[in-house]
Amino acid sequence: MNVHGSCHCGAIAFEATVDPERTVICHCNACQVLTGTAYRVTVPAKAEDFRLLRGTPRIYVKVADSGNRRANAFCGDCGSPLYSHDAVDQPTRYGLRVGTLRERRDLVPRKRIWCEAALEWTESLDGMAKADRE
Amino acid sequence: MRVEGQCHCGEISFSAEIDPEQVILCHCTDCQVLSGSPFREIAVAPIDSFVLNGTPKAYVKVAASGNRRAQMFCPNCATPLYACAEENPTSVTLRLGCVKQRPMLKPSKEVWPQSALPWVRAHDLLHS
Repeated sequence: MNVHGSCHCGAIAFEATVDPERTVICHCNACQVLTGTAYRVTVPAKAEDFRLLRGTPRIYVKVADSGNRRANAFCGDCGSPLYSHDAVDQPTRYGLRVGTLRERRDLVPRKRIWCEAALEWTESLDGMAKADRE
Repeated sequence: MRVEGQCHCGEISFSAEIDPEQVILCHCTDCQVLSGSPFREIAVAPIDSFVLNGTPKAYVKVAASGNRRAQMFCPNCATPLYACAEENPTSVTLRLGCVKQRPMLKPSKEVWPQSALPWVRAHDLLHS
């Protein structure tokens, strides 16, 4: 499935091909803080299926408890979170933030991860596969 | 209820007084794009209760109505912090993802349900 992403102010745009079946809710604390809301929804894209069409995102490198370094790309003008990838020169995979994708209505999460950090009221998201961590 | 918020990198923090019975989910498309998520969780605080440390960046969003809202975020890590009127704000609307007390807060109202993502409504977040 082809998806089209853009920040709110329009300075940055990207497109990708994704498998909608791999759409995931992440309940981890970092995703709560960095979205400003209850959880994040992400869909992965392989590097060869991802194209940045316009603009230059800013990068915030988040260091996980495991030491894993993850580059979080966002628009420096409007702050929209765009995607993330491993903080290396040539990432192999991108995690697209579904809220910025035009096709977001069709990307239904199939799995929830980091459920140990989930806000209690989000437990009504039942019927989905659950993982305590990744 | 006094709440404290901090961005992910720690450059910016705030505290404010909110009514925990007035926590809202906003399903508008602006909130979807600006959070990167399906909806935003928010609460309003009076400006005189709001204490800010650090210097957020403002993105002024102009609504279809012409209403101008300053969307405040950390310029370093992009954490969404709050929104307020562009000039002479009387209140701030906090983004609850970065609020420490968020496990104790439960939404009691949804706004802009007409643009809610279908699967969010299907799972009926508030009425389980």
